[in-house]
Amino acid sequence: MNTAPPQRAGAAGSADAVAPPARAADWYRRKRTREAMLVACFLLPSLMIFFLYRILPLGWNVILSFEYWSPLKAARFAGLDNYAEMFLEDDVFWQALTNTLIFILASPIAILLALAVALAVNSDLKGAAIYRTIIFLSYPLMSVAVGIVWRWLYDERGGFINFVLRGTGLIKEPIPFLQSFGWALPSVILADIWQVVGFYMIILLTGLQSIPQHLYEAARIDGAPASARFLRITLPMLRPSLFICAVIGILNSFTAFDLVYVMTGGGPAHATELLVTHIYNMGFGETRFDYAAALTVVQFTLLVILTFLANRAVGGNAGSVESA
Amino acid sequence: MQKRRDVLKLAAGTAAASFLPKKLYAQTGTKKLSILTWNIIDMEPLFKQWFATFQSQNPGVEIEWLDKKGPELPAFYQTQLAAGTPPDIVDIQGGLGLEWAGQGALLDLTPMLDKEPAVRARFNPEYLANWVFEGKNYLIPFYVSKSLLFYNKPLFKAAGIDYAPKSLDDILSYAKAVSGADRTGFLTLNFDWLYWPLFRMQGVDLLTPDLKKPTFNTPAGIETADKLAKATADGSINKISWTGRWVEPNGAFAAGNVGMMHAHSSAYFFVKTQGSWITPETIGIAEVPGYWSTPNSHGYAISKGARNPELAWAFLKFATEKSQAMEFARGRTLTTANAEVDKDFLAELDKNDPTAAAVLRTQIEHTDKLTGNWRLSDDSAVKNIVWAEMQNIFLGRRDAKTALADAEKKVERELRRA
Amino acid sequence: MRRRSHILRHLVMALVCALMLIPFYWVAKTAVTNENIYAYPPRILPLKPHLYNFVDVWYLIPFARYFANSVIVSLIAVAGNIVFNAAAGYALTKNFAGKRIVVLLFLSCMLIPFQATIIPAYLVSARLGVLNSYLGLALPLLSTIVCIFVFKAAFEAIPASLQQAARIDGLGELRILFRIMLPLAKPAIATNIILSFIWSWNAFLWPLIITRDVTMQTLPLGLARFLAYVEDTTGALYAFVCMVLLPGIIVFLMAQKEFIRGLTSGATKG
Repeated sequence: MNTAPPQRAGAAGSADAVAPPARAADWYRRKRTREAMLVACFLLPSLMIFFLYRILPLGWNVILSFEYWSPLKAARFAGLDNYAEMFLEDDVFWQALTNTLIFILASPIAILLALAVALAVNSDLKGAAIYRTIIFLSYPLMSVAVGIVWRWLYDERGGFINFVLRGTGLIKEPIPFLQSFGWALPSVILADIWQVVGFYMIILLTGLQSIPQHLYEAARIDGAPASARFLRITLPMLRPSLFICAVIGILNSFTAFDLVYVMTGGGPAHATELLVTHIYNMGFGETRFDYAAALTVVQFTLLVILTFLANRAVGGNAGSVESA
Repeated sequence: MQKRRDVLKLAAGTAAASFLPKKLYAQTGTKKLSILTWNIIDMEPLFKQWFATFQSQNPGVEIEWLDKKGPELPAFYQTQLAAGTPPDIVDIQGGLGLEWAGQGALLDLTPMLDKEPAVRARFNPEYLANWVFEGKNYLIPFYVSKSLLFYNKPLFKAAGIDYAPKSLDDILSYAKAVSGADRTGFLTLNFDWLYWPLFRMQGVDLLTPDLKKPTFNTPAGIETADKLAKATADGSINKISWTGRWVEPNGAFAAGNVGMMHAHSSAYFFVKTQGSWITPETIGIAEVPGYWSTPNSHGYAISKGARNPELAWAFLKFATEKSQAMEFARGRTLTTANAEVDKDFLAELDKNDPTAAAVLRTQIEHTDKLTGNWRLSDDSAVKNIVWAEMQNIFLGRRDAKTALADAEKKVERELRRA
Repeated sequence: MRRRSHILRHLVMALVCALMLIPFYWVAKTAVTNENIYAYPPRILPLKPHLYNFVDVWYLIPFARYFANSVIVSLIAVAGNIVFNAAAGYALTKNFAGKRIVVLLFLSCMLIPFQATIIPAYLVSARLGVLNSYLGLALPLLSTIVCIFVFKAAFEAIPASLQQAARIDGLGELRILFRIMLPLAKPAIATNIILSFIWSWNAFLWPLIITRDVTMQTLPLGLARFLAYVEDTTGALYAFVCMVLLPGIIVFLMAQKEFIRGLTSGATKG
């Protein structure tokens, strides 16, 4: 077991504290390496999985983006041709990029909604468990079903939403949600929010559960009003959870693939095309894997930048909080 | 010297073999045939029979059967291709076959067909020619369908119209007359370019016959696009024609408030189960004026990486023989492009289900008027460009003139790139 | 005053829940009928409900086999996730050289969509010799970055004094993790279980790519086979998704009692 001399705070003056400096420094060095090795061991299994299934594929994509290739054809060096085509000639890319950014920028809405819900069900409200379950229910539902049912909900003639809007007299003419260039993307985003708000909710709930109660009690004793308790205790302590939610919001721009694919196929006329659907179409639709790889690299770069900014916004280190 | 070469060969062989997925490696002793089909898992009992028969005719053959649905089949196939283990036989829908042929994934079947003219003679030549790319024939027909027009007789009667259109204008005027409060007059499927006959019947084609230049940006093309846009705007054409895929448009027609639906034969069998109003008396069956249609057919192809191409070809011959093809046609009520089989099957069907027979008859008539597929390896890229602009036009976002001009420029660029 | 705000909160929550449930209701309604979802006007109540869609599946596909496959794969994925993610999350609470880089590395690993990794992931699995196997199905899902950060956040909320005390008592890091940190991070464990279960249970494209043997297919794939049998009518599709949905909900219900504030936060007092 551990043979190092015990460290006790405030032991200055006792015989132990006057250990020869050389031995102490040596012990520290060994302790640091032991710690470093331990950290490495703990990180290793996850890193292995990511190396195999994320990093290697990313490398494959990076290399491929500079080549002309398809399965069965030998690779030819393409230099920056794929990127040139993307930035200079591909209107769909620019549309997809815009749509992806809009999608990401819409995520704070869902996060705020989920925060409100999480706060509400985290209290001693009776039936909180039922509310929690109902709101979470939509997340495990396969995107295929979500897409099809929302496509129907939005239908111009037979759809429920138009039926209700016209029935209550709010509108006269039905709105062609998914056939209109202005409405299509927001409609898809709404369906996505519906599906994902439960996910944000449990991340935030987990975070709320970790906030030590005594902080609130101390604040209450000091007479702090609810808003102050929220702003000074809850929100800062939720920073790591909010960061996770922000990153998920960024991820959503491609995990919503199934939803977009089923609801609109990227249409009409690329109004709901996301970078990820464009990548898939280029790869498996037009059999241009090299070009799809270049798109992947560009999307990756964009998302890394956004994640970096989000990290900065929560104070770095994924929003970690110094515990009491 | 020889010994070193042997050692190298052995090392190379072992290295290569260690990359093979374990299963296939274990089977290099027996002859294995793998077949990938496109969403016909319900034919399992029939296929099991076929495999048993084929195996008795060819002892020592193992058959692996895979079936994937449309959206996932390309992803599955391309991955297997990249890994070096493509299924020997693939069932491909529509123009995708040409794309993969252009990629070099498929085996040229022309020599086999040349050697056995009897096999070639089985098929309707136009459907067979659908899959000729750069002079080589890469697929043979498995089952075929093409677009036709269905109309809702009661709605036409209520609007006081006798259905006998002679042009697109007639169709559009019928659509206007039938449409109303919650009804629309006309609906078309659009995937795989099933909507294109609407243009072709006006004399507008996508590319020149040599496939080198776009030809849709003409006064006729602009006029047609404009007409369709106006009809969509005033509600005669149902908007989901331009954004819907399968369930939506068919569901709408089955709900009984659409006057006409332009779709292929499979749609009939689907809407029949969904629409209680559909009876032999109430459903009208016709072809568009001019008899143009877009085929939506399935063909068999052999992967170039097939381990036993002769065995694969033997199976294809077997599967398209009269008895097998007939069983398949009966099992799924469709046409196979095997001329004799189709004739006999339709004669049978006439007695049992005359409406279905009438629908299917349109699938093998006027096959000299097929359009909607261009034998290019980047056929889907060209189509995506034009379709995006078509959607812009039909849904009123851009006017036909500028949109088609834009599309023409982009298509020219794409044709240069390929 | 308290009463009024309570009632108000209940009302708001009820409204939110109703909105969340509407699409759900339609999924369920269509699952028990075979009616055309595009029938106009939309029917609120199902016409002639029946359970055939749910029953037929037992006869038409080897449901038990697919269910078992899914269970095995999900068990492997959940177990892997808890162990690997807790370890990684714990490591990330310590300060070590290069920590910022590792955090950013993990974050960037998330930013690659699966659709862009299909071919290389398949080739990697082929090289590892895990094609067509349970391990192959579960391997890419054995660790997820979101869940690592959930653990990290939960561990950071535990006072360092507890860990110090444990170290002084001579506990090794592994024991600290399992005896002290994990018991205090029950909500994080619950979240990990729920999320990793859902992600592995619902996975469709990866199992489709990596299994060639029909007997190795997972439930979503198997049910998709069922769809082809019944010609893609929407009733069967919705029954299918309801069946896939159920286990996820059950896992959530079982794990979610950890979200109830109570004894779990006791140890952090003072």
